[in-house]
Amino acid sequence: MDIAYQIPRLALLWVLSSVLLVVLPHVLRLPAWITVLALACIIWRLLIFVGRANYPGKLVKAVLVMVVLPLTVVQTRAQGVGVDAAVTLLLLGVVFKLLEMQYKRDIVIVIALCYVLIMVGFIYSQTIPASLYSLMSATVITGALISLNRDNARNTFANNSRLAARIVLQAIPLTIVLFVLVPRVSPLWTMPLPVSQTRTGITDEMTPGDISSLGRSAELAFRVSFDGAAPAHQQLYWRGLVLDFFDGRTWRRAGSSFLSFNMVSRSASPSRGIGQGTPVAYDVILEPTQQTWLYALQLAELNAQDIAQDRNYTLQTSKPISQRMRYQVRSYLENQTDLELTGTQLARSLQMPEDDNNPLSLAMAQEWRATSSGDREYVQQVMSHFREEQFYYTLNPPLLSEASIDDFLFNTREGFCGHYAGTFVYLMRAAGIPARVVVGYQGGEYNRFEDYTMVYQYNAHAWAEVWFEGEGWVQFDPTGAVAPERISLGVEAVFADQPGFMEDSGFSMMRFRDYQWLNTLRLRLDALDYAWNRWVVSYDEDLQLDLMDELFGENARSGLMIALGIGTSLFFGIVAFFMLRGGRGAARDPATRLYLTLAADLAELGIPRRVGEGAGDYCRRVAMERPDLASDMEQVTRVYEQLSYASGGRQDDTELQSLLEEFRKVLRGMRLRLLSRSKRVGLTLSELGRSR
Amino acid sequence: MNPVNAISFWFARKAQLWLAKKVPVVSSISLHRKNIFILPTTHGLLFAAATILVFVTAINYILSLAFALAFLMVSVFVLSILHAFRNLQHLNVRAAGAEPVFAGEDATFVILLQRNAGRFHEILELFFPKGLTSHANLLDGDQERVNVYLPTHRRGLLKAPRLRVQTRFPLGLWCAWSTLDLGMSCLVYPAPVASTMPGAVTASHSGKAESTHPGTEDFHGLRSYQPGDSLKHVAWKNLARGQGLKVKQFVDNVDDRFMLDWEMYHGLDTEERLSRLCYWVLSLSRSNVEYGLRLPGVDIPIGRGDAHRERLLSALALWNLKVAHDQGREHGGEGTWT
Repeated sequence: MDIAYQIPRLALLWVLSSVLLVVLPHVLRLPAWITVLALACIIWRLLIFVGRANYPGKLVKAVLVMVVLPLTVVQTRAQGVGVDAAVTLLLLGVVFKLLEMQYKRDIVIVIALCYVLIMVGFIYSQTIPASLYSLMSATVITGALISLNRDNARNTFANNSRLAARIVLQAIPLTIVLFVLVPRVSPLWTMPLPVSQTRTGITDEMTPGDISSLGRSAELAFRVSFDGAAPAHQQLYWRGLVLDFFDGRTWRRAGSSFLSFNMVSRSASPSRGIGQGTPVAYDVILEPTQQTWLYALQLAELNAQDIAQDRNYTLQTSKPISQRMRYQVRSYLENQTDLELTGTQLARSLQMPEDDNNPLSLAMAQEWRATSSGDREYVQQVMSHFREEQFYYTLNPPLLSEASIDDFLFNTREGFCGHYAGTFVYLMRAAGIPARVVVGYQGGEYNRFEDYTMVYQYNAHAWAEVWFEGEGWVQFDPTGAVAPERISLGVEAVFADQPGFMEDSGFSMMRFRDYQWLNTLRLRLDALDYAWNRWVVSYDEDLQLDLMDELFGENARSGLMIALGIGTSLFFGIVAFFMLRGGRGAARDPATRLYLTLAADLAELGIPRRVGEGAGDYCRRVAMERPDLASDMEQVTRVYEQLSYASGGRQDDTELQSLLEEFRKVLRGMRLRLLSRSKRVGLTLSELGRSR
Repeated sequence: MNPVNAISFWFARKAQLWLAKKVPVVSSISLHRKNIFILPTTHGLLFAAATILVFVTAINYILSLAFALAFLMVSVFVLSILHAFRNLQHLNVRAAGAEPVFAGEDATFVILLQRNAGRFHEILELFFPKGLTSHANLLDGDQERVNVYLPTHRRGLLKAPRLRVQTRFPLGLWCAWSTLDLGMSCLVYPAPVASTMPGAVTASHSGKAESTHPGTEDFHGLRSYQPGDSLKHVAWKNLARGQGLKVKQFVDNVDDRFMLDWEMYHGLDTEERLSRLCYWVLSLSRSNVEYGLRLPGVDIPIGRGDAHRERLLSALALWNLKVAHDQGREHGGEGTWT
C-alpha cells in the first residue's frame, strides 16, 4: 500500500468533526433513530481511530443495511417521497461511509458529501445564524482537506485552522462577486419541497376566538417596504382571504377552494375593479405559511407568473408557501370593485346559516332595516350600536353558546375582531345587504433602521366588506367602532397589559419593548434580518437585472457578463498578487541576519560593510579603524565563520543550535559595549532586544 | 508500428521537444510561472462534482445561500491553484550528484532543494517516471537534501529522465508540478556475479611475492560489507553490538598480482563476462593485492587503491556500449543509457 493513500491521523479527527458539524443541524428534524445511528457510527470510527475497535466486518455491514433499509422505507412511507427521505438517505450514506473510511479517497468522498449536507441545510433554513454556522462548517471541512494533505510536522490543529481560515477568507470576496454577478437561471426541473405539517398564521376558517389565539403569538408574518412613504396605520388592511360562508358558528370560504380559485383577469372585465389615483407600490417578504394565499392591500395589482388574483381580489398561489416568499405589488387604495354582482356572487354574499338559531339578532336586523331609509343608514346604525353600547374589545373573550350571534350581541358583548366582523356581516345579510368577512392583518410596526414595516401574527385581524348598489364593495371595520385605537395605534397599544398577549412567544424580546435600548436592539436585529432576506436570500434574476439596469442602463445583460469577467479577474488578481509576490531573495540563515544587524550598527559608526566584502576582510578593516572594537569584532567574526561553515556542512542540529546561541551571546556583548562607549550611535536598549 | 502507436509516439515526441524548449537542461533551476504546470487531481474532480451538484440544486430549489455555497466552493477550488503554485514557486532545485551503483540496485540521485526568504514548501513529492516517490518539506532549514531513486537494470551511464517535482498541498485538489532535466547521470556497474577464477592469470611482467589473497583459510580481520559479499561471512555478532555490517575476511596466501582478462571467461556472453570480472575487481580490491584489467580495446595496468578500482569498474560499466545505446531509447521512460 502506497503511503500516499493513507490517512494522516489528525485528518480523521478533522473529518469526524466536519461530519458532526454538518449532521447536527439536521438532528432536530430527523427521527431519533437516525441521530442515534449517526452518533454511534461517529463514535465507532473514533474507537477504530484510538485502536479500541475494528472496522466492521461484512456481516456487521450487511446487518446494518438490513436493519436500516426497512426503517428508511417505513419512514418514507410515513413522510412521503420527498426532501426529508432524501436527506435521511444522504445522511446515512455519510455515516456508513465513515465506517469503511480507510483511504484518502474515502475521506474525500465523505468531505464532498459534507458540502452537499451543508447545502441541504439551506433548504430548511437560510437565516443569518444558519449561514454563519454553515460558513464555519465549510471552514472546518477545508481544514479537514488540509489536514488530509499535510503529512508533516506542521499538521497541527492551530496550523490547519489558520490556513483553512485564510483560504476561506480569501475566497469570500470572490464568492460575493460570483454571487452578485453570475446570471441566475430559472429552475431546470421542479423539485419536491419539504412540507411542514405546522401551518402558522391565518387559516381559511374563522370561528370567533380563533384569531385571538394569534394575538398570543409575536411571530413575524411578513415584512413590507413601501416605495415612498408608507400609508397611515389605519389604511393598512392586509387582505388575505374572503370568507363568505357562515354555518352559524364558523366562517369559511364558499365552495371548495378550487372553485373559488377562479383566474379572472381584471383586464378582461374592466367593470370589476377600477383603481383610482396613484397606486402604492411595495415589496412583501412573506414568512412561510404552508397556505396558498398572499396578503396585500386592496386593490392589488401584480405581475407574477405563479400568483393569480381570484374573484374576491385575493392573491392565490398554486403551491403552499413553504419558503420565504417575496413579491411586489401595487395597490390602488382608492378603488371601485364589482359594480355588478353575478348571481352566484349575490347568493354567496347573502347566504345565511340553514338552521339559524339567532332569532333575536335576525329580528333586530330586520326591524332596523325597515326603519332606516337606506342600506347606508342601516350600516351606520349597526356601527353606532357597536360604538355606543357596552361592547368590549378583548383578547380573552368568554365562550359563546350555540346561538353565537344572539349570545354575543345581547349577552357577553366581549369579543375580539372575529366576533365583531362575523356579527356585523350576519346583521348585514339578515337585512338583505350583501356582505362578507375578510381576514388578514391590520397595521404593522415601522422599523426606521431599514425603512420597512413588520407585521406580526398578533396583527391578525378580521373585518367586513359590504356591497352597495352603484358603489361596489365598501370596507367596514366594526372593531374600529369598538376600539378605535386598535386601528389607529395598533394592537400592541390596546393589549400591552392584557394577560395572554404574546403569551405563546415565551421569552420574546417583544416583551421588553418598554426598555428603550432593548427595543432599539430588537428593531436593529430585525432590520438586519430583513436586509439579509431582501438582498441575500431573495436575491434573484429580477433583482440582479435591476441592479445592472442601474449600473449599465439598457445593456444590463451584457453589462452583467462584463462585470462578472472584470470582477472575478480583479479579485483573483488581488489574491494572486499578494500571495505570489516576494520570495525572490535567497533565504538567510539566522546567523547572517544577526550579523547584518551588527554591520548596520557599525555602518552608523562610519564603517559600512562594502559590497561583496567577506567577513574576514571586514573584521580587519573594523579592527584597523576602531582598535577598541578589535577583540570583540574578531570574536564575533570567528563564531560567525564557524557557523556559516557548520550550516553548509550539515552538522547535526544541536551543535548548530549551541553555536548559534554562542553567536547571539558574543554579539549581544559587543553591541552592549558599543552602546556604553558611544551614545552617538543612538542604540537603545529596545533595539538591542531585537538582536536576541 | 500501427497508426495509433505512431500518432501517440508523434505526440510524445512533440511533447518532449516542447518541454525541452520550455524547461531546458540545467543543473540548477528555480521554479516559476514558466516551468510550473497545474492540473486538477481526481480529488479535485470529485470536489468539482460536489460543487456542480450543489449548484444544480441551488438552481432547482432557488436557494440563494446554496448558490453562495457553490460559489464559495468554486472560489476555494480556484484559489487553491494559487496555493499549490505558491508551494512550488521560487523553490530551487539543484542536482547534487549520484553515487555509482551496481546494476539491479536503485540509482540514488541526490537533489538539493533550497528555499527563498519567506517561502516554505510543504509535502513536496519528487520522483522519476516509474521510480519511487520521495517526500520532502522545506520548513525550518534553508535547504534539504533529497534522495530520489531510480531502478537500474543494466550497466552503463544512466542518464536520469526528467525529474518530476510536484505538490498537492494544501487541499489536494490540484497538482502543481514541474518536470526538470537537471542533466544528471549515474554510472551503473555491471551486477557482480560470484564465480571461480578459471586458471588465474597472473601478471606476467613481475615476479611472484608472498602475499594474501582473499580466500577461506585464515581469518584476516573485519571490513565493511560490500555488494557481492557472501552472507556466510557476515559478522553477525558485531552487527548485534551495533557496530554496523561487517564481513569476516579470510585470506589464502597466494600470488598477489592479478591481471583480469576478457578471455578468462571464454564462452560466456558479454554481460556475463563483465559481471564476473566485476565480481573479481571487487574481491581483489578488498585484499591487498595489485590487479589490472584487459578488455578488447581496453588495457588498464596493474595497480591498487580506490581510484584504481573505480577506474576498472567504470571501464567495465562503459565497455562497448554503442550497441546498448539504441535499446535504451526504447525505454525512454526509465532514463536513457549511453
